[in-house]
Amino acid sequence: MKYTETIPVSGQTSDAELQALLRKMNIGMSPAEARKVAGILGRDPTRVELFIFDIEWSEHCSYKSSRATLKKYLPTDASNVILGPSEDAGIIKFTTANGREYALVFAHESHNHPSQVLPIEGAATGIGGIVRDVDCMGAHVIAVADALRFGNPSGKNAARTRWIANGVVDGIWQYGNALGVPNLAGDVYFDDSFDDNCLVNVVCLGVVPADRIIRSRVPRQAAEEDYDLILIGKPTDGSGFGGVTFASEIMNDEEKERQLGAVQVHDPFLKNILITRKANKMVWDLAFERGIPIGMKDLGGGGLACASSEICSAGGFGAVIHLDRVHTSMPDMPPEVIACSETQERFIFAVPKEFTPDVLRIYNDIWELPGEANGAGASVIGRTMKDPVFQLLYHGETVCEAPIEEVTGGIRYERQAEPIEFKGTNPPAGEMPDIAGSLEKVLFSLNGCSRYPVYRHYDTEVQGMAVLRPGESDAGVMAPLELTEQCPAGVALSVDGNPFIGEIDPYWGGAAAVAESMRNVVACGAVPRALTDCLCYGNPEKPKAFWQFVRGVRGIADAASRLWQFGTNKEPVPIVSGNVSFYNESALGLAIKPSPIVACVGTMSDYSTAVGHMVTGAGHQLLMVGRRRDEMGGSAYFREVFRVTGTQAVTIDWEQERKDMHGVVQVLRKGLATACHDIADGGCITALAEMLFSHRRAPIFGMTVRLDDTQGLPVDRFLFTETGGFILEIPEENVAAAMSLLSDNGVPSWRIGEVTEQSRIVIKHKNINILDIDIKVLLYGWFHGLEEASL
Amino acid sequence: MKGRQIRIAVLQFPGTNCEYETAAVIEAAGMTADVFRWNRRSSELAGFDGFVIPGGFSYQDRIRAGAVASKKAICAVLVEEAGKGKPILGICNGAQVLVETGLVPGNESRIDMALAHNKVIGKSGYHCDWAFIRNETQEKVGAFSRLFAPNEVIPIPVAHAEGRFVTKNANTLDTMVRNGQIGFRYCTSTGEVLEVFPVNPNGAQLNLAGAYNRAGNVLALMPHPERGAWNRQIPIDLERKGQRRLQGLEYSRMQGPGMKFFLSMRDYILEGSPVQ
Repeated sequence: MKYTETIPVSGQTSDAELQALLRKMNIGMSPAEARKVAGILGRDPTRVELFIFDIEWSEHCSYKSSRATLKKYLPTDASNVILGPSEDAGIIKFTTANGREYALVFAHESHNHPSQVLPIEGAATGIGGIVRDVDCMGAHVIAVADALRFGNPSGKNAARTRWIANGVVDGIWQYGNALGVPNLAGDVYFDDSFDDNCLVNVVCLGVVPADRIIRSRVPRQAAEEDYDLILIGKPTDGSGFGGVTFASEIMNDEEKERQLGAVQVHDPFLKNILITRKANKMVWDLAFERGIPIGMKDLGGGGLACASSEICSAGGFGAVIHLDRVHTSMPDMPPEVIACSETQERFIFAVPKEFTPDVLRIYNDIWELPGEANGAGASVIGRTMKDPVFQLLYHGETVCEAPIEEVTGGIRYERQAEPIEFKGTNPPAGEMPDIAGSLEKVLFSLNGCSRYPVYRHYDTEVQGMAVLRPGESDAGVMAPLELTEQCPAGVALSVDGNPFIGEIDPYWGGAAAVAESMRNVVACGAVPRALTDCLCYGNPEKPKAFWQFVRGVRGIADAASRLWQFGTNKEPVPIVSGNVSFYNESALGLAIKPSPIVACVGTMSDYSTAVGHMVTGAGHQLLMVGRRRDEMGGSAYFREVFRVTGTQAVTIDWEQERKDMHGVVQVLRKGLATACHDIADGGCITALAEMLFSHRRAPIFGMTVRLDDTQGLPVDRFLFTETGGFILEIPEENVAAAMSLLSDNGVPSWRIGEVTEQSRIVIKHKNINILDIDIKVLLYGWFHGLEEASL
Repeated sequence: MKGRQIRIAVLQFPGTNCEYETAAVIEAAGMTADVFRWNRRSSELAGFDGFVIPGGFSYQDRIRAGAVASKKAICAVLVEEAGKGKPILGICNGAQVLVETGLVPGNESRIDMALAHNKVIGKSGYHCDWAFIRNETQEKVGAFSRLFAPNEVIPIPVAHAEGRFVTKNANTLDTMVRNGQIGFRYCTSTGEVLEVFPVNPNGAQLNLAGAYNRAGNVLALMPHPERGAWNRQIPIDLERKGQRRLQGLEYSRMQGPGMKFFLSMRDYILEGSPVQ
C-alpha cells in the first residue's frame, strides 16, 4: 500500500458515497468536513491526513459545539491564577514555603464512554490520563478524586450496571494505588438515566514550585537552536485507535466491537517509573539546573498527532516527525495508527539537540525502561521547525503535510438551543410521614448510604500527607509540604454534582454543583480558590440537550462569580480547567440527566485548623447556618419517601450564601468549632445524623435537637429540604463568640441542639419527641446500603 | 557508637511507591536515608547500617507480590547483611519481598511463608483503612519493637490486596511462636485479638501483622508505620475527643506511634549489632 495515495473526497463523489467511504475507513467526520479538509490542503487528503483531521475536529479535541458557550460565560481569571484553561492543567498560586513560591496544578476529565464498554480499563486509563495532565506541567501529583454515576443496580440493566460499577471501582484502585497517588475525594450517584451511559469523572491535583512549571509548548529558543522531539514511554500499539471519535458519538450496541478496540490499555507500573518523582523529575531537575528551556506534553486523546502538533503550534512552530522512528510494539504498523493510536503512558518532550543524549540516557539506561517495562523507552522522533507546517514522514515519504494552525485550530459549530419545560409531580398534600421511617429511607438508600465500600479500596495514605479522608470530612484535606518543607499549608479537595437538581433545572444544577463543592471545602476550614468542571450532557446536535448544556454553564458561571473568593475584591473562584463530554446518550435516544460535575480546591494556612464532620464531645452545641427554604425538587426525601421528583429545585441566594461561606470560614479559622458538616443531600436531618457516624467505631455520641422555630416550614420540609447550609459543633464556651462573629458578617445562625453521651438522636418539636432512635440502627443500615449494588 | 551518622538504604524497585515518605520518617528518627535504586551497584549496600524495603507494587506484582524483586542482586546482598545482624524492615510490599527471599521466617532461606489474597467481608481486592496492632515481643527483643511496651496497642494503616500471612507447613507458626518471631498482631483498640474483619483486615493466620526472623533483626510488616509517624496522620475518629483539632499545630507535628519502629531501629543500631 502506498501511503501517499490520496482519498478522492473532492469533486465527483456524492454525499452518500463519500459518507459510505468515510465510514468504511472508520472515520467519523461528515462529508462536508472531509471536503473542508481538501479545501484547506488544496488537494485531496491522504489517509493519514483524514484520520488526523477527524481526530482534531472531533468534539472531544476541538470542543466544536461547546467552545463558544464556555468562552462567553465562564470566569477563568483571578489574581491567583497562574495558568487558566489553555494547556493540560490549570495552575494557581498556593503558598510560600522557605522563601519559595508553590503552586497547585489542577485538572478534571471524564472517561465515560470507555468505562461503559470496558469498565476496568476505561476507569484506569481515566486516572492515568488525568495524572499525566498534571505531571506534565512539572508537578508532583498529590491526589486524585473521582465522581461516579452509575445506572440503577436493580433496574433494567441490573447485571451490567453492577458489573460496570464494580469494574470502575476496581480500575480506579488498581491504577491509582499502584501508581502511588492517594485518592482523597469523590462522590457516587445511581440513577436509571445512567443505565446506558455511566459517568466516570477523574480529578487530579499536583504541587509544583512556581519557578519550575513546565509548559506544554515548544520554547521560544527553538527559533535559535535545533530542538528535538522525543517520545517517551510505552511502545506505541494499536490500542485506543479511534478513541476520541468514539468519545464523540452515541453509544451503540452494534458498534461495540469496534469501540472495544478504541479503549486504551493501562500500565500503572510503567507510569510509576515515569512519574512519582522518578524518571520525569530527573529530566526536569537537570534541565532547570542547567537553565535549559524545555517543553513537555502528555499524549492523551488523539495520540501522537494531537500532542505533537499542539506542543509545536502553541509555541508558534511546525514539526517534522518520522513515524518509523517511533518505538512500537510490533513492526510495520500503518502510519495512521502510529500517528493516532492512544497508547497510554506516553509523553512528548521538546528539548535542545545537545540535551537529547541526557534525556535518552535517563529513560533508557538509568531507569532501564526497555528492559524493565516491555520495550518502553525514549526515542527521538523528529524536530521542530520554523515553518508552521505539520509534516509526517513514513519510510521517507511524506504522509501528512498541513498548515499546523489548521491542524490544531479545530472547527466551530453554532448549535441551536431549545428550552425544555420540566414536568414533575409533587407529593399529595396530607399527613406528614413518620420522621424516623423517612430518615431511614433516605440514609439507607443507594444515594444516601455510606460510600465506605467504594473508598475502602482506594489508598488514601500513600505519600503520608492525608490529614482528613473520605468518611471523616466533607472534603479530603492534605498537608502536601509538611514532609519536605515543614510548611503547614493545607489543601482541601472536593468534587460534586447532584444530577437530580440538573434534571429539574439545568441552571441550578450547574450552580448547585459549584456551591456544593465550595461548601465541602469551607466545611473543612479551607477557602475555595479554584474550580474545574466536567460538563456531561447528551447529544449537542439536539437543541434540547444543547439548551441544558448552556443553562448548566451559565449556572456554573454565575455561582463562580457571585460566590467570590473570600478576602478578595469580588474576584471569582476561577475555573482553571475542565472538559465537556457530549453524546452521553444511548442509541434509543435516552440521555443522561444533565450532569455538570464540579471540583473545588481550597487552601488553608495551617492544616491543623481543619475540622472533620464527626462531633467530638458531649455537651458541645450544634449551630445551624443557612436559612431553610421549601425547595424540595430532586430531594432525597421526595425521591425515597414519595417516589416523586417535585418541581422546584434547590436555588441559591447568592448574597446570603456567600456571606454564610465566608462567615463559616472565619469561625473555623479562629478555632471556635470542633466539627462542621455541610447541609446537602437529605437535608439538615441527614447532616446531623452523619455527624454521629464513623465506620471505624461504635457510636459514642448522640444528639438532642430542639426545633422551636422551623422558619415557617412544615417540620418534615424543614428537616429534609436540601437548601445549602452548615451544621457547626461548637464547645459551649465558644458559642457566644462564634454567633457574634457570624452575625457581624451578616450570617444568621440558629442554636438547634447539643451533643449528648447517649448514642441516640432525639429531635423535639415544641417539646414533643418527633424522633428518638438508636444511632446503631441508623449506622447499620447506612453502612450496608451499597450491598444492593453488590459493592 | 554515639554521634556517628547512621545510614539507612531505602530500596527502590520499579513500582515502589512509598520510598520518599519512608525516607522522611527515617530522617526524622535521627538517621540518614538514601533512596537506593535497584540497579545501582549492589556492593555499595554493604556500607549501610540498616535497610528498609518500602511499600508499593514492585515489578507490578508479577508472579506473586514481591517475587521478582526478591530475585534481584540487591536482595542477595541483603541476605548477607541480615546475617551480620543488620536491621532490615520490609513494609507491605517490602514484607512480601522479605518473605520471598526466605529471610522471614528464615529457615535456611527456604520460602516458608507467603502473603495471600485478603479474605474480607464484602468485595475482595485492595483494602485500605486504619487498624490496631499489638506488640507481641518481650522487652528489648526485636530490632523494631524495642521502644514498644509489652502488649502496647497502636493505630496503624493497612493498604494491600495480598496481606494474609499463610505458611506452607502447619507447624511453622508454632515454631515461630516458640521462637518469639511473632512481632505484631491485629487487635481491637483495647488490645483484644479478634479474628473478625475488619479487626483482622485480611484474614491472616494468628492475626499476624508483623513477623520477625529468628534473630529478631528482620521484620516483615504488612501495615505502614511511616503513614502513622506523626499525630496529624491519625484519623480523628480514632481519637475519642478530637484532641488534634483542639491542640493545634504543635500537637499535629508531634511524633506518632509509627515513629517508634524507626526509633527502635536507631536504638538497635546504636547499641551495636550482635555480629560485626
